[in-house]
Amino acid sequence: MNTHHSPTTYLAENCSMPFCKGCGHTHAVRKLNEALTQANIRPQDLCIVSDIGCIGLVDALFDTIHTVHTTHGRSTAFATGIELADCVSADSKLKTVVFIGDGGAMIGLLHLVQAALLNVDVTVFLCNNFLFGMTGGQHSSFSPIEFITPTTPAGNFIPPLDICNVMLDAHAGFVARKLATDKDLTEVIAEAIAHPGFALVEIVELCTEHGTTRNELSGKTLQKILEQHGQQTGILKNRKERDEFGKIYSAKFPKKKKEKTESVSESIQFFYQHHLKEKIGILLAGSAGEKVQSAAGMFCESAIHAQLHCTQKNDNPVTQGSGFSLAEICLSPTEIFYTGIDDPDAVLVVSADGVRELQGKNIFASLPSSSVLFADETLELPETQAKIFRIPFRKLCKADKAASGALFAFLSATQIFSPDIFLQLLQKKSRSESDFFSQEFFEIAQRGRCFSEKYSEIK
Amino acid sequence: MIAEGAMQAGCKFFAGYPITPASGIYKSMLEFLQQQGDVAISAPDEISALAYCVGASMRGIKSMTATSGPGWALMIETVQYALMTETPVVVALVQRLGPSTGGATQGAQGDVLLTEFCTSGAYTIPVLCPSTPLECFELTMLAFAWAELLRTPVVLLTDKEVGMTTESVNYSELNTLIPVNRVQFSFANSLSENFHTYSFHNSSDVPPFAAVGEKWKVTATGSAHNKSGALKKNDAETLEVLHHLEEKIQYRKDDLVVVKNDVQKNAETLVLSYGITARTMREAISRARKQGKKVSSLNILSLFPIPEKEILAAAKTVTRIVIAEENFSGQYRSVLSSFIKNKEIIGVNKIGSMITPAEILKTIL
Repeated sequence: MNTHHSPTTYLAENCSMPFCKGCGHTHAVRKLNEALTQANIRPQDLCIVSDIGCIGLVDALFDTIHTVHTTHGRSTAFATGIELADCVSADSKLKTVVFIGDGGAMIGLLHLVQAALLNVDVTVFLCNNFLFGMTGGQHSSFSPIEFITPTTPAGNFIPPLDICNVMLDAHAGFVARKLATDKDLTEVIAEAIAHPGFALVEIVELCTEHGTTRNELSGKTLQKILEQHGQQTGILKNRKERDEFGKIYSAKFPKKKKEKTESVSESIQFFYQHHLKEKIGILLAGSAGEKVQSAAGMFCESAIHAQLHCTQKNDNPVTQGSGFSLAEICLSPTEIFYTGIDDPDAVLVVSADGVRELQGKNIFASLPSSSVLFADETLELPETQAKIFRIPFRKLCKADKAASGALFAFLSATQIFSPDIFLQLLQKKSRSESDFFSQEFFEIAQRGRCFSEKYSEIK
Repeated sequence: MIAEGAMQAGCKFFAGYPITPASGIYKSMLEFLQQQGDVAISAPDEISALAYCVGASMRGIKSMTATSGPGWALMIETVQYALMTETPVVVALVQRLGPSTGGATQGAQGDVLLTEFCTSGAYTIPVLCPSTPLECFELTMLAFAWAELLRTPVVLLTDKEVGMTTESVNYSELNTLIPVNRVQFSFANSLSENFHTYSFHNSSDVPPFAAVGEKWKVTATGSAHNKSGALKKNDAETLEVLHHLEEKIQYRKDDLVVVKNDVQKNAETLVLSYGITARTMREAISRARKQGKKVSSLNILSLFPIPEKEILAAAKTVTRIVIAEENFSGQYRSVLSSFIKNKEIIGVNKIGSMITPAEILKTIL
């Protein structure tokens, strides 16, 4: 915030207050203006974000300050966005002030809570007149017990929200509850604005159109009503316990000059050949937590080294860590358009979860005789026409390498591209000195041979 | 690829809320933006996420969020607010089956009309729809360019099958746009001596922008307003502003077109699609041609404003048009049938899983 030659007022010249006679909003606006004038902030460094309802008329009263008139209850969220951008990506000079009513505060409660948690430099003035004024005086979540409104003709029987307590729980650094008529309201507003971080002042008011006409309500009884509901008044907290958001964020993620972005991914050199003539679809099925999808990912990466196009889709139950795990892989010598697999060319299954999932999709029965099925030797398989290869993946590779083992065996048998490319990648990513597969598995995996019109010469 | 496109476009602010299948964009943007010290933030809900973005954009920072249908439903009022306040913002909407309890990992193209017709007053929201990773990159850049130039929200509409499939990508084929920024207000482009937040001369002009927090006093409002941003109801200037919000887009609609056509001479059938189904369409077209069928195709990458001229041109010689999309009623078909006359229109529709090439092929043969 920069100082400059002090304006004597931030209110528009000859501005008359649009509020009803005796309405607390008038007090709130005038006291804010006094506080701003004392604080001597450049108008361009101030932004008032207003909500809707009667309180939403405040922005039009200030003709030198930036104003943003927003949707119902969302003013704090827009203010948070302005402030987040200001404190990190701009010059951090802006002071953002929110005006919201009790109706807006409840529908937008999470915006208030989140702004307080983030500790953005936003100051909220919550003008609480216990009701929705502009829409006809309906009760709000802030209405006292026995409050009479058109929607509580028999008296309100739901206790009012203590927003200050909510804000304290959300770690707001400055929280105050004041009456609109309090003589020291200007000072409290000034303190709230000066607080470096999130601040909220609940200003308790009378609605002279709807509130006082139906209830025994006057300036004198307001304090009593608050007491009856256990709601304290005054400054409830004014303590800087942590830096405001921008400071913490910028320290954690310092600004870096944008380097000229090459591509984000590692560049891949194409060195290898493949023997694929047409697109094929492979299903790899196993159990969650046994590295099925990551094995498929490495398989695809090695296929790219062999100049193939590939797509990979994963599927698992919502829990992600239990039940089946499935990867659908398409490989093709040309660009892949359709990424679905209607008739799989190969199915690799390494656990009972995988068999169950595939069976649920009726995969085994629909496999054509030209397809191949690589399965762990222990698995019970439903009837199928596919050519079956039984290998003890789980025993020889262990559960977390069984999927890699199946893909390796499939590659060895089909020679779509050199299984060594895949093996090298597995070895590299395992970050282990010892051989990825045991010698015994290696020998068994390389025994199988299968041919198809799609991926090798017909012999 | 969407996140990479956003970074290339100069996006400096992302607010997100987790939802499958859009969470990958959220994660990538968090990584990219925090790395360079710009804001990537978790919002407590989708309403906050978009409101944060709109606020940041008002402060002058290019911003984006990503969501899916259930989140979009919550964002709609804020989309209208961005439109009304002429605030540029990009929303990546990755479609799936909704509600939030729906089918998080089942692809869908069922939010087309919900996206376009979400505003009160039926304003045009530009919608771009990629079908490949390269298009995701390019159209994200374009979405930012359109949002900035038009000062309006733009939607990048994709789906689970495009958003969550891992694919090989040849980076050397990437087309990069030069990032486009909104026109800033200065005396040089001023129409009067004073700054007015929403000033324009012709109704189709896009008002020069000034950020909240800078020299010119901004009066932003989501209420019906005059050029100064003052809340008004039915005076002539306010009605002019309301018209202007649509006219600035309609005036440029011939420039807001991205289609990929594959027209065959003397084709009898035109297949038309978008998003993931446009890829299935290409495979179906290639199979049909192998069987000797004369058939054209049109992949519509800019769904709205509707590229009418391009569609009519591609359909000129054909007698029938097949429109393939992954929703029950043929949402895009329903908006096209109002201006396609004297042609047989056939819908290929499905829900719950991808349309297959065979299903499209059946309608061609």
